[in-house]
Amino acid sequence: MDRLYLPRTDRSPLVELDVDSHRLRIEGESYPEDAAAFFGPILAWLDAYLGQCRPTPPDSPIVMDVRLLYFNSSSAKALMNVFQRLESTARAGVEIDVNWHYHLDDETMMEFGEDFSEDFESVRFNLCASETELA
Amino acid sequence: MSIADDYLYFHQRMLGHGVIFSFVGYVSESILFSLGEALKQKMRLEATDANVTKRLFSVFVEQVQNIIRYSDERLEAGSGRPSEMGSGMVTVGRDEAHFFVVCGNIVKHDEGASLCRRLEALAAMDSAAIRSHYREKLREPAEESDRGASIGLIEIARRSTRPIEFGLADLGDGRAFFCLKAYI
Repeated sequence: MDRLYLPRTDRSPLVELDVDSHRLRIEGESYPEDAAAFFGPILAWLDAYLGQCRPTPPDSPIVMDVRLLYFNSSSAKALMNVFQRLESTARAGVEIDVNWHYHLDDETMMEFGEDFSEDFESVRFNLCASETELA
Repeated sequence: MSIADDYLYFHQRMLGHGVIFSFVGYVSESILFSLGEALKQKMRLEATDANVTKRLFSVFVEQVQNIIRYSDERLEAGSGRPSEMGSGMVTVGRDEAHFFVVCGNIVKHDEGASLCRRLEALAAMDSAAIRSHYREKLREPAEESDRGASIGLIEIARRSTRPIEFGLADLGDGRAFFCLKAYI
């Protein structure tokens, strides 16, 4: 399986899903013209990757680092879909960490992190307040 | 009245309403992006609190995307969604205490009435109730016909620091002018 890499644009985040290191990253701002078209291939890739991990979990946990500055409501829905896939995979016995990074003064991203954290039981979801700007 | 007097009056009237900028006509996603950049730049230059800028920007994006997607006056190119345009108006301004974002566009009367019912329910909620309503909606699978409108409206109500205001003006031909104002 190949690595997925989408560079950051004005309106869409950097997305990197590395099958070798089992690290996933999403960084930047997300309000693409068509959220379904942007996130569709990412979800498809994730389904294929997580499908491989279920029968033979990797030796080290899968780690996802989220560093978002802003996302619109359609992107929030898409993120929820990503997280639901991770949670169901973790429930099947794969170790997964999600690190939600935000600047400590950023009330919006902190609240979103708290909101998403409520949906996780098997994934370890970590709120990571940072003193430095994420951009 | 000379043309300059005419437009001076128009200009002054807008400024008198606290308008920072206003766009009337067909909006596309690329216009949304450019106006949003201008808005962020102005906020940066004025050293506005970063959290205020974020809230304002978020409301602005959801408002304009609603016009693009749901205005009854629309243009759609054959190639699909990204080239769609919806007609309406979006105004960002400031009064004594708040920034505000108003959007207005024409809708079918029945759709407008149903929008207003949803907004009435939102306007009656306190911020904790809006937040938990948002969380519920986030978990619901998206309906085919609904490209995220309801969660967009909740996002607008959630970022607004005062209850949202909205209304419908009947145009008499089965259509109505819908408007929604949020304060930050």
